[in-house]
Amino acid sequence: MDANCFESDLLFKLRQVVNKFVEVEDYKSAAFWSNKVISLSNECKDDVYILAKCFFHLKEYHRASHCIKSRNLHKYDLSCRHLSAKCHFVAQEYNEAFEILECSESGNTNNKEMEVDPKLDEDERKWRSAIALLKGQIYEAMDNRGAAVTCFKEALKWNIHCYEAFHSLVQHQMLTIQEEEELISSLNFDAHCSSEEAKFTKFLYQSQLKKYAKPSDFVIPDDYLNSLQTNVDVQTAMAERCYYNCDYHQCYKFTSQYVFILNAFARNDDILKLRVLEKDIYHTECLPIHLSCLMELKKTNVLFDLAHKLVELYPESPISWYAVGCYYLMINKTDAARRFLNKATTLDSVFGPAWLLYGHSFAVEKEHDQAMAAYFKASHLMKGCHLPLLYIGLEYGLTDNTKLAEKFFNQALVIAPDDPFVLHELGVIAYQNQDYNTAEKHFNHALSLVKMKKDGTSLPEKWEPLLNNLGHVLRKLKKYEEALQFHREALVLSPQNPSTYSAIGYIYSLMCQWNTAVEYFHKALGLKREDPFSTAMLGHAIEHLINEITPIDDELPMYESPDYITKFLSKNNLEDSTLGDKLLHGTEVETEKSENERNNNTDIDMEISGE
Amino acid sequence: MDEETIRSDLIHCYYESTIRGLKQSAKWCAELLHSLPPKCPSSSIVAEASPLLITASDYLLAKSCYDLGEYERCAHFTKHSTSRDSRFLYYYSRYMSAEKKRLDLMAEMNTNTSSATSSTDNSMNLFNELRNELQNLHDKGSLEDGFILYVYAIVLLKLDLNSDALKILEKSIRLEPLNWASWHQLALIIEDKAQLDSLQLPTHWFKKLFLGAAYLELQLNEEALLLYYAILDTFKDCNYIYSQMAIAKHNLRDVDGAIELFKTIRTLDPARLDAMDIYSNLLYVKDKRAELSSLAHAANSIDPFRVETCCCIANFYSLRSQHTKAVVYFSRALQLNPRHLSAWTLMGHEYMEMKNTGAAIQSYRSAIKCNKRDYRAWYGLGQTYEILKMPSYCLYYYSVARCLRPNDSRMMIATGETLEKLDRNMDALKCYWKAGGMALVKLAALYERLGERDKAAAAYNDFINRSTVPSGMDNIQSSVNSSDIAHAYKFLAHYYLQKNELTSAYNAAQRTIQFAETRDEGKSILKQIITAAKTSFLDLN
Repeated sequence: MDANCFESDLLFKLRQVVNKFVEVEDYKSAAFWSNKVISLSNECKDDVYILAKCFFHLKEYHRASHCIKSRNLHKYDLSCRHLSAKCHFVAQEYNEAFEILECSESGNTNNKEMEVDPKLDEDERKWRSAIALLKGQIYEAMDNRGAAVTCFKEALKWNIHCYEAFHSLVQHQMLTIQEEEELISSLNFDAHCSSEEAKFTKFLYQSQLKKYAKPSDFVIPDDYLNSLQTNVDVQTAMAERCYYNCDYHQCYKFTSQYVFILNAFARNDDILKLRVLEKDIYHTECLPIHLSCLMELKKTNVLFDLAHKLVELYPESPISWYAVGCYYLMINKTDAARRFLNKATTLDSVFGPAWLLYGHSFAVEKEHDQAMAAYFKASHLMKGCHLPLLYIGLEYGLTDNTKLAEKFFNQALVIAPDDPFVLHELGVIAYQNQDYNTAEKHFNHALSLVKMKKDGTSLPEKWEPLLNNLGHVLRKLKKYEEALQFHREALVLSPQNPSTYSAIGYIYSLMCQWNTAVEYFHKALGLKREDPFSTAMLGHAIEHLINEITPIDDELPMYESPDYITKFLSKNNLEDSTLGDKLLHGTEVETEKSENERNNNTDIDMEISGE
Repeated sequence: MDEETIRSDLIHCYYESTIRGLKQSAKWCAELLHSLPPKCPSSSIVAEASPLLITASDYLLAKSCYDLGEYERCAHFTKHSTSRDSRFLYYYSRYMSAEKKRLDLMAEMNTNTSSATSSTDNSMNLFNELRNELQNLHDKGSLEDGFILYVYAIVLLKLDLNSDALKILEKSIRLEPLNWASWHQLALIIEDKAQLDSLQLPTHWFKKLFLGAAYLELQLNEEALLLYYAILDTFKDCNYIYSQMAIAKHNLRDVDGAIELFKTIRTLDPARLDAMDIYSNLLYVKDKRAELSSLAHAANSIDPFRVETCCCIANFYSLRSQHTKAVVYFSRALQLNPRHLSAWTLMGHEYMEMKNTGAAIQSYRSAIKCNKRDYRAWYGLGQTYEILKMPSYCLYYYSVARCLRPNDSRMMIATGETLEKLDRNMDALKCYWKAGGMALVKLAALYERLGERDKAAAAYNDFINRSTVPSGMDNIQSSVNSSDIAHAYKFLAHYYLQKNELTSAYNAAQRTIQFAETRDEGKSILKQIITAAKTSFLDLN
């Protein structure tokens, strides 16, 4: 009894010791004492779990796993099974990890797994969710993305708060936009939490959904306006919307590190609103968008600084190397860019942006095949993302393969039916195929989507090609006035664009308004000398124009009137001298001649007055 | 319009411009103000017009940065300011910063003329960014400040969106009539009289001065002169108005009148350089070497780094046929202000003198880019293409020049000559006829070439009658080329000989031999006439 009592007392003390060491993250000491606890407690399940966890934190994965497996705990305890599988997963032994997850009760739980029983206690659900998440991660690592998706979904169903599963699904582009929406609607938010909480979670999740597939506004519900407006994740979501709406400056405002004083009200409220990266300078979700923004705005210097800092602090993170790749691509050093992007994709093979950028690095060098290979890889990794397909289509288009280009654009359209970029490209293809009506339809559709934004701001500069292309199509359809209208709008977005000027000039020349046409071709040539189209058209227009140039009024010289000539002929205009006399003395001519020879070198005025 | 209102308006405009860093506009106000008679000290306006002292620290810091040309700093400190003048400074300093970058780039480009567009892209992006922001503000209806609208307008102008800029300037003036900068800018961009009449502007006494400036731009010089004469009653001896009038007279080719005015200005305000380049043009036309030289030296000692000074010096060199040096000074002027129109045109002329057609075309085109209505540049382009033997381009340029100066015979003659080259003789005839005056000889020559000898004879005859004053041939009008007259007489001699009107033929031939270049031919005609006369005399007998 005494011994027992002593032991249990000791056990209690030792467990406290272990807990304290775990709290201060001294796993070595914790493991030592935990080992003793196990001996004392006769291998109590919870104590073994703690020991294994200590090993796990000490990065002694196999020891941790063995600790559990040797006692067969993984067969009937969910937490132990999860831990031991996770050990193998971290050690990249996916098959072992998988075996552990599958090994026990495979017979009886398999059917049950899919249906979520709310009556299960919370603890159980927690572990089931964690296990499903782990399974998903293993599948993903083994490149079995279909199975991974199922597992992640399952994890979410077990535990609605399992953000990592949601994150993997959404950020790794595993679902199409419809599937994402289905997922959100299928999730039973209310089953897990109160209605207020459910609303909150749903809003947060929705804010993460496909932001680039169509231009839209992002509105924070009034309830959360005060609390969430400055939340890092929400602001990132807002920044992303801005980015995909091509409002780069606004986006940069969100993501950049400036301290922003909410202008007029700052003095009253005294709120200093910090922007995302100021608060959390290495916020990983925000970084890709921030980097893209820096690239769009050509802020080379800022990008350089950031990439340096990131690599210094997080050499193991793919985003650091991605940032370096961005920088090199921006300064047109494609080789270096590819080297670093490669590094990023090695660190995280599902890091989509790096793959796309890898493709871009080839595309800017007009290496179409290699670019396409990279995009194909990206499209394989990001099944739910239409961007790789869009870029593949673009590359096909550039290599004059309109059929294939169209095919890929259509595939992209299936994934993202409301993306104006895809519609725009489809329009371009139709234009190239001389199917102008279809082209006009696509362009107009794209334009209506772009214009859907409600905040009343003007179109971003990015859409200047769309307006110009609409102009070209309408010109082909002989709707000249409308075409001109679009070109003029394009000119507002991107002023002093020589090709727009030359397009306007072309329309005017088709409308036979040669004068205006010449003016516009001149403008175009002034901005871009040696442009063969404008030069040729200018010559053409001028040829036409000069035939139209006539003296302002059609008054004829009076010499054209026969009366005047008759009158002129009737009078002798020069009969004022003494010809008769001189004629009689023909010799006089001779004398005059010699006289004149003497005066030969004098001024004309002198000669004249000499008479 | 009573004097006190004018005075208080000008003081108001002066201070509003000064606090915003609109220096030219402020100077303009002060210049007009100075020309008003000295005010009576008891006037009540003194208190009213004295400006409020601005004490906001953000404004003060920003303004001092602005004054030192640190535009980006100025923009930084006004970013979140809310007062009207700080908001204005925020946008205007950003505009100035972009403009400064653009000018710096252009100065570099002038020296190495290639690599044109890419480097200007950056400043164009800045302008576009500014446009985007201001346009959003405007579209939302939260841009109701006349001064900021002025910035919006000049940004639009930089981006070549003139029709939009026009509307914005109108609005700016309606909201804030006491902003001369907007009036001034508006005057520069109006394209024709119809557009000027269609503007909806408030009835304010500034409008008169605006109309004067606009008339000058539109080459409505008589109207401008009338208007300025009227205003001169209020603003006695105002140099601004004098120089505007001088420019009008210059445009009207009233060279002496313009020179007189400039002399007056120089005595009243000897250190004033504004518009002195035009004075130097006038002296150049008059071939007044000494005056031009003294003007150039004076300007150089006042400030060698002014556009006007450089133009004076360039004209001075040009008159001495040192064209290379002239080009150097014109391009220096253009580095100081790439939008200085007449320097571009004159540089084009210099390149023409140096037979460098490519550079000439470039200069003229730049001039046209600055101002589409500069007929000299269009005319110069026509001349260049004439040398390059491209008559269709040439015709186009001449016709534009002709539209801009409908009553200028030089344009008509040039158009006619080109039409003749293109074998459109009938049109050419009409041009010569319309041009009148000495173009008659061209008309006659064309008739001669076309074999219409009767008409040619009639025209030559009229030409001779017109170019020689009735008293005889002793003073041929200076503008007439004597070889034209010689040719005319020669033709007439042949013509009458052929028609067997020997008396007339004899007379003509007599005149012909008085000119050196036709003497020999004249004599042979004379011999023929005498032979013919003898034959006919014998026949008669």
